[in-house]
Amino acid sequence: MNEGLYWQGMSLLDFARGPAFRWAVIIFVIGIVWRLGALLLSSRKDLSSPKGSTTGGGVKTLLTRSAPPHELEKNIVFQHYTGYAWHIGMFVILLFGTPHMLFFADILGFTWPTLPTPFITFFTVVTMGILLTLVVRRMMNPVLRKISTMDDYFSWLVAFLPFLTGFLAFAHITFGIRYETMLALHILSVCLLLVWFPFGKLMHALVIWPSRYKVGAAFARKGVRA
Amino acid sequence: MSATTTVDYGTLGERAAAGLKPKALSDEQKVERAKEAMIAGMTADMATYLESCIHCGMCAEACHFYISTHEAKYTPIYKLEPLKKVYRRELAPTRWLNRLTTRDITVTDLENWKEFAYDSCTQCGRCSLLCPMGIHIQSMIQVVRNGIAAAGMAPAELQAVADEQKDKGSILGAGPDKLREVVEKVKAKGIDVPLDKDKADVMVLSSALDFLKDEEVLAATARIMNKIGANWTIKSDGFESANFGALAGDTQAQRRISKRIIDAAVSAGAKKVIVAECGHAYPVLRWEAATLYGKELPFEFLSVAEYLGQEVKAGRLKLKKVNSGASHVTFHDPCKIGRLGGTFDEPRDVLNALGVKLTEMESHGRTNLCCGGGGGVLMLKSAKRLREAAFELKREEVERTGAPTVVTACNTCMQNLQIGKEWLNWDKDIVNLVNLVSDNLA
Repeated sequence: MNEGLYWQGMSLLDFARGPAFRWAVIIFVIGIVWRLGALLLSSRKDLSSPKGSTTGGGVKTLLTRSAPPHELEKNIVFQHYTGYAWHIGMFVILLFGTPHMLFFADILGFTWPTLPTPFITFFTVVTMGILLTLVVRRMMNPVLRKISTMDDYFSWLVAFLPFLTGFLAFAHITFGIRYETMLALHILSVCLLLVWFPFGKLMHALVIWPSRYKVGAAFARKGVRA
Repeated sequence: MSATTTVDYGTLGERAAAGLKPKALSDEQKVERAKEAMIAGMTADMATYLESCIHCGMCAEACHFYISTHEAKYTPIYKLEPLKKVYRRELAPTRWLNRLTTRDITVTDLENWKEFAYDSCTQCGRCSLLCPMGIHIQSMIQVVRNGIAAAGMAPAELQAVADEQKDKGSILGAGPDKLREVVEKVKAKGIDVPLDKDKADVMVLSSALDFLKDEEVLAATARIMNKIGANWTIKSDGFESANFGALAGDTQAQRRISKRIIDAAVSAGAKKVIVAECGHAYPVLRWEAATLYGKELPFEFLSVAEYLGQEVKAGRLKLKKVNSGASHVTFHDPCKIGRLGGTFDEPRDVLNALGVKLTEMESHGRTNLCCGGGGGVLMLKSAKRLREAAFELKREEVERTGAPTVVTACNTCMQNLQIGKEWLNWDKDIVNLVNLVSDNLA
């Protein structure tokens, strides 16, 4: 029996877990297919003879781009490692938080070991700390100010909210709101993320791969490792 | 060792620009033409790149102009803003949404972006190697140039020379007649130059940018070719490596200019076409000419550094050890033949054969720092401050090698380093590979 806010006989948690989540996933999937499909425009034929294998170069760059050469990386160390850190934090929480594992186990039909609560809490706090640092940096750093758009801030918010609501629900810091309502807000924040995903910069999680492949192939064609 | 003289391209460019007739276009027409050109230049690859930008700004830290000035406006991805806007409003799958948040480009944008697409971008491609998303920023700068050029707003220096080269086949007044004159001078030194042979295996290109001041580089090239014993020629109807159409962003001029070389090579039955030490010429011919021509080519383009390296390796080019002057060198990889051409080992093989001690700079090979003058930037007076700032970075890296001599294989790098040397009264020798080889033939 669900507790918390009710509307027309359905609790907010029922709504979040039910129709909201279902529709969010539908929009997420259709949106992704549509946006990735649109990128498969007709490629132009290059008539120059290649110096190296474009496929090989493209595939290599998928991985090697994660670790640029020292002389290029030395100026971006902070951003590079904070970027890594929060993405790793996100995956740890998503895959090794017990409630998340149980959610996926429901769909997949098998379970896996998870991390104890203090670890997940630690990762969540650290990840939120990094995200806050990065958004402040985005507002202060002249280069980032120059190139930032509304999408950057909105996507940041959409990515941050699941951590915040998840943390509050998990730690039972609910400011007088019922736990179930906080949990519903957490699920709704994930729904918002799924719905926004195909329309804004969150899509980079998928577009990064064809993009890295293409730059790798373009340079490999010229006989250069990228 | 042969001394190379510096030509004042800024003044020459300015003089050429004075003769340029502005296109009579209204602001609306300019914007319309720029948009058409940018849409025409867009590819599916570019759409993927633009879709994946997360605005992290890391590309700034790869750019010699940003690193040396710390001015945010020189962030590479920012230099693509007009193209990004056109893509977002006209082509992107979310264009209906984007139109609410992205305003259309204006003539003022195009005017402002001259500084970003031309003055502050040598199209060196270093940013394309750093971007964590794998965005090939360099490949898209040319499309922004295409847009600005289509609006008749390309820097007058570059557009004037592009028009001249397209219509008359000359650069800054130096065309086939000037070539013949220079060839005569080389011949007077007792060096044979087989000009306009009907058939030849190897067709060698030169450049007015080399022989405007003197015949030294052409003489050195001829000496080497004769020593190799190749069946070679230089054709007065297709000798110019440089392509100002490409530099200005004028695709029509670029196509016509590179077609001249292809036609000359086809008629000579050449198997190899050797591109002179002219940076941008190599990618323009090696990677773009065939596609613009519409057919695969029956010969291969090689940069002169690439060719010399191959001939040394094959044992056809014998060199003696350098015993004076340039015995300890560092090699400045020209971006256009290195990072954008894959030629790293060949010039080093040549240096090895010359027995010199080579000390590499921290950024060398594919991560080389641009000299600051490529992509036509050397020609732009308005870019002087930026060139000097970028030169400082290069100078620091050279200093750290302790080598007294910088060898390079690109006329533009050569001239730009030479200008920097004169500016700072720098004690380094700047030597081009062709001259170094020619002076040390076994």
